[in-house]
Amino acid sequence: MSKQLDLLAQMGRDFAASQDIEPIMTRALARIACLVEAEGGALFLLNSAEDSLICHASYGPVDIMGLSVPSDQGIVGRSLAHNVCEMVRDVSLDDSFHNNLDQQSGFSTKSILCAPMVVRGRTGAEERIGAIELVNKTDVHGLFSVNDLKFLEVLAASAGLAIHNARMAVELAEKEVMRRELERAAEIQRGLLPPPGDGNFPISGVNRPARVVSGDFFDHFLLYDGRIAFTLADVSGKGMNAALLMAKSASLFRCLGKEDLRPGRLLQRINAEVCETSMRGMFVTMVAGVYDPESGRVVLANAGHEPPLLHKPDGTFVALPAGAPPVGIPIELTGGGPIPEDVLFLDGGCLYIFTDGVTEGYISGQDELGTDGLKAMIMDGLREKRSAADRIERVAECLSKSEEPLRDDVTILVIDDAANALTRCATLADRSREDQKPDKPIVGSLCKLSLPARAQSLILVRRAVEASANLSGFSKEQTQDIVLAVDEACQNVVRHAYKGELDGDMIVEIRREHGNYIILIRDFAPPVDESKIKPRDLNDVRPGGLGIHFIREVMDSMNYLSPPDGQGNLLRLKKAIL
Amino acid sequence: MEINTSEQSGVKIVALSGEVDLSTSPQVRNALLDCILGGSSVVVDLSQVAYIDSSGIASLVEAFQSAKSRGQGFALANIGQTPMRVLQLARLDKVFVIHDAVDDAVAALG
Repeated sequence: MSKQLDLLAQMGRDFAASQDIEPIMTRALARIACLVEAEGGALFLLNSAEDSLICHASYGPVDIMGLSVPSDQGIVGRSLAHNVCEMVRDVSLDDSFHNNLDQQSGFSTKSILCAPMVVRGRTGAEERIGAIELVNKTDVHGLFSVNDLKFLEVLAASAGLAIHNARMAVELAEKEVMRRELERAAEIQRGLLPPPGDGNFPISGVNRPARVVSGDFFDHFLLYDGRIAFTLADVSGKGMNAALLMAKSASLFRCLGKEDLRPGRLLQRINAEVCETSMRGMFVTMVAGVYDPESGRVVLANAGHEPPLLHKPDGTFVALPAGAPPVGIPIELTGGGPIPEDVLFLDGGCLYIFTDGVTEGYISGQDELGTDGLKAMIMDGLREKRSAADRIERVAECLSKSEEPLRDDVTILVIDDAANALTRCATLADRSREDQKPDKPIVGSLCKLSLPARAQSLILVRRAVEASANLSGFSKEQTQDIVLAVDEACQNVVRHAYKGELDGDMIVEIRREHGNYIILIRDFAPPVDESKIKPRDLNDVRPGGLGIHFIREVMDSMNYLSPPDGQGNLLRLKKAIL
Repeated sequence: MEINTSEQSGVKIVALSGEVDLSTSPQVRNALLDCILGGSSVVVDLSQVAYIDSSGIASLVEAFQSAKSRGQGFALANIGQTPMRVLQLARLDKVFVIHDAVDDAVAALG
């Protein structure tokens, strides 16, 4: 009896020591077979489909490792199916015995001892693991005893439990790895959101994922001319697939948004990209816009998203419903055109953009916040003189208060025009508004030329500048001056930035904004050292060095901006249209 | 841009027409320096110049300095409003010798 106990203890120790159970099963089977004095033995495990028993350990003259038998056949199948130990003293009298293997191997099976391995799982249900089978007692009688059967039953139960535990441990470890991976993914996702601006920045956002990763996002960044591009989006679903599509959409916005597309066309392009690499059945509701702090003007495009709320300074709210279906709906269905745009003036008010996780979030029990609840919280925040960032933080806070996890990701973006409205020059804002009338001159980009950075290109630039300056209302003399200044700036690109290199290129954009005529000259040459750009002393009569002097003399301002993707140089020349 | 060179009373008259910019100013520079190195005094007729930039002005300055160092005369004549504005911006309207008409310039140099 002590031998049996020793074996039990040894098996327990072995299984506890390692998660690699295959060699342990082989060793345990050999020990069991020796102890029971069996000629051979096999340990079968039920496969995950539960339709086959696979031999994972084999002992004796014939190696049947890997052998698969249908789980409803043979003595081993019967033993496991009925969860009973079997002792067949003469297999030839048992219909369940198939002698195919004996015929193949030349082995002669006489008697069989079989014990099932069944455990009770966490749910209390029986979980079938497999069975241990021993064949042919080697003692003089050649017969297994009832004691042998009892002993095998105990050992099989113990082995079954050990195998079950080992599997659970592996499962747990895998879950832990998954959890850590998810944490890392969430970290990357948080990095996709813009860092909180200082107190003076007019846009703030908040994002609380319902799970570890989020299907919502928001973003904003400064354009070279001081306007701010912004977006907020909600990917359908909230698991890992939503998080991946979120990462893709967010990157597309950042990348394509820097090309200064109009919001409607930007969403159109994002839609085209998302549809091109189809994510079947998944879509993104998305708002994209551009806010101009100088005028309070917002151009907004809404693809299938919850209507943003404009909160006017007089206290009224205006909802801005979507003008198109969400991003990701196949172009064959939608036509894939640009998303319609709304133009609005914040006039010192606020624009709130939020996901349905906000309005459908629970504030207490099963009560949803709702649009009215959100409006009320905004009003409360204003009464308590809270900043816009603080107001939306309070809304997110209130939705996360419940013991229950969030129903959906909660994301809010707010554009607060109050401070800018105060500092804004009233006449400029009025003029910008005047510019919106159809018979008024074009505002924004008048033309954009993409040219080789060569001396021969300059005449094209001069013609465009001449015509556009003229159109913008400059006198003939002023126009001539501007033509000269822009020509000189472009010459500097050709001669100094590219240093005579012949395959350089440049982009000259002519814009009209807030009563200013603006020229943007972009090149892709190595960065220019601004400190080395000085007009020369005019008393020193010599050829060269006059260009910068002409530009400074003619234009109201000349300054280098950081180019959108950090490459090359971006020079901005400005002259007020008086 | 076109350059026509003629001679009157031993003075070379270089008449420029069209737009003098970065791509055409090297031709102006060469034409002017050729005349000066040939020993002549030079009058530049700017009446038909529709546009001139800093590189064109630089060619005129270089020719002027070259003539001066060789003791030869160099004058601008018949300057239209556009080139005059550029000369003024460069504060060179007081540096160059400027005549209203080519004949006056030739008379002064000859």
